[in-house]
Amino acid sequence: MAHINLRDASVEIPVYAVGNNSLKTMLLRKAVGGRFGRSGSNVIITALSGIDLDIHDGERIGLVGHNGSGKTSLLRVLAGVYPPTKGEVNVVGRVSPMFDISLGMSVDATGIENIKICGALWGLSKQEIEAGIDDIVDFTELGDYLNIPVRTYSAGMLLRLSFAIATLRQPEILLLDEVIGVGDAEFMKKAEGRLEKIASRANILVVSSHSDDIIRRLCTKAIWLNQGVVGAFGEVESVLSAYHAG
Amino acid sequence: MQLESATYGDDIDQNAHPHMKARGPFSIGADDLSAGLKAWRLWTMLGWNDILQRYRRSVLGPFWITLSMALYVMLLGVVYSRIFKMEIALYLPYIAVGLITWGFISGTTIESCSAFVDSSGIIKQIRLPFTVYVFRVLWRSLIIFLHTIVLIIPIGIIFGLKFSWADILIFPGLILLFANQMWVGIVVAVLSARYRDVVQLIATAIQIAMFATPIMWPASSLGTAQIIAQVNPLYHLIEIVRSPLLGEAPPLLSWLVVIGLCAVGYLIAILLLSRGNRRIVYWL
Repeated sequence: MAHINLRDASVEIPVYAVGNNSLKTMLLRKAVGGRFGRSGSNVIITALSGIDLDIHDGERIGLVGHNGSGKTSLLRVLAGVYPPTKGEVNVVGRVSPMFDISLGMSVDATGIENIKICGALWGLSKQEIEAGIDDIVDFTELGDYLNIPVRTYSAGMLLRLSFAIATLRQPEILLLDEVIGVGDAEFMKKAEGRLEKIASRANILVVSSHSDDIIRRLCTKAIWLNQGVVGAFGEVESVLSAYHAG
Repeated sequence: MQLESATYGDDIDQNAHPHMKARGPFSIGADDLSAGLKAWRLWTMLGWNDILQRYRRSVLGPFWITLSMALYVMLLGVVYSRIFKMEIALYLPYIAVGLITWGFISGTTIESCSAFVDSSGIIKQIRLPFTVYVFRVLWRSLIIFLHTIVLIIPIGIIFGLKFSWADILIFPGLILLFANQMWVGIVVAVLSARYRDVVQLIATAIQIAMFATPIMWPASSLGTAQIIAQVNPLYHLIEIVRSPLLGEAPPLLSWLVVIGLCAVGYLIAILLLSRGNRRIVYWL
């Protein structure tokens, strides 16, 4: 059973301006008794503030909000890469964070080599990767191209490959930051099919999108994030109308 | 507080997730370290791929490393044996082993500085033990080291080095050297993720240290000022590898110094890793 629970979770990101990230600033601050470099030095962005959230098994959540409203930060918290700076986060289940699906691709390595490297990064065991290669060959239709360096691939071919690798594992919790959308129409249809299959098998889906259609089609509930706080959480239609009104 | 992320592979201990529980100042870092070690399949693969990436389209491939080191050692060996008025049969093997070992020490130290920064794309997407990124750098450097240390075989044949039982001490020596560079790598990786000047500082320090350490010159040439070599931990670090390869048992003092370095170093590394674990991603 997958489950997501956030209690008063906040993410505050310190921004170090040029020179601030340096030893000099720290040493100088020590040397002049704590005044130098402090004024305005630690700019802190509050990406998320006091988020309370309960997502249960079987729920499909759409994340809406303007640019910079904290959608990506929330997804990163759920992926476990952003530890909350305040509050508690409890995520139970195998997570696939599909933010950048070309994660770990080496352009000079062949398609097959990339399947092995990226597969390992995505958390697949050697056996799972071996077993999945046929599936990837089928899905990508790349054939002999898989034996030559991926730098020779077109953008569409590269997308097919990275998409196939990223979707090889069936996660319990699937996190999507904007639904992937490049490639020819035929492949798009195929990719959507595969993604929807994985999403429907996942226990929990959290997807951020600027497209109301995608949210309506994929999700059972929606969250409107507004400047790092939850503006609304509940039925898709009511959240969307709150978002467009706010 | 509990956070069970599932992006670890099968061979990565999911219970060792660093966010799980705070048991003491060292527990988070120690968990990260052990989870990182268990993920050896991942970092050996990534490290090896880094090497392939670098040499993929060249004919000699990674053997360029061997060739360039061979030329470097030959040239310096011939020139400096004259300067120091030493027999080339004694001096060339000495400088070869010294430079190769030094290459591993300086390479791991400098490249570890960018271990987290270079992998920030992965760190911001997938939760892996932070030590994985350091071990990837170390593995890469070890491959380079192995490509250069083989030069000891032709050098040994040309200059008539004989096998002695002391040679076997190379194995504990190498393991200790590698273990030492692991903590060094963790420390500099965490520090330079936070303070971007650390890379420059370390690059400068390493450059100077090369001339202050008996690598190109023998410690014996210090005469009565032996203390200059003895207080330098880098000297002992090189000595535990160099002495066995040149057919002598390393001085006990060198072993003790390196073991002591590791003891203190791991404490610092694990403490930094514990303190930094929840923050490193925000520094990148």
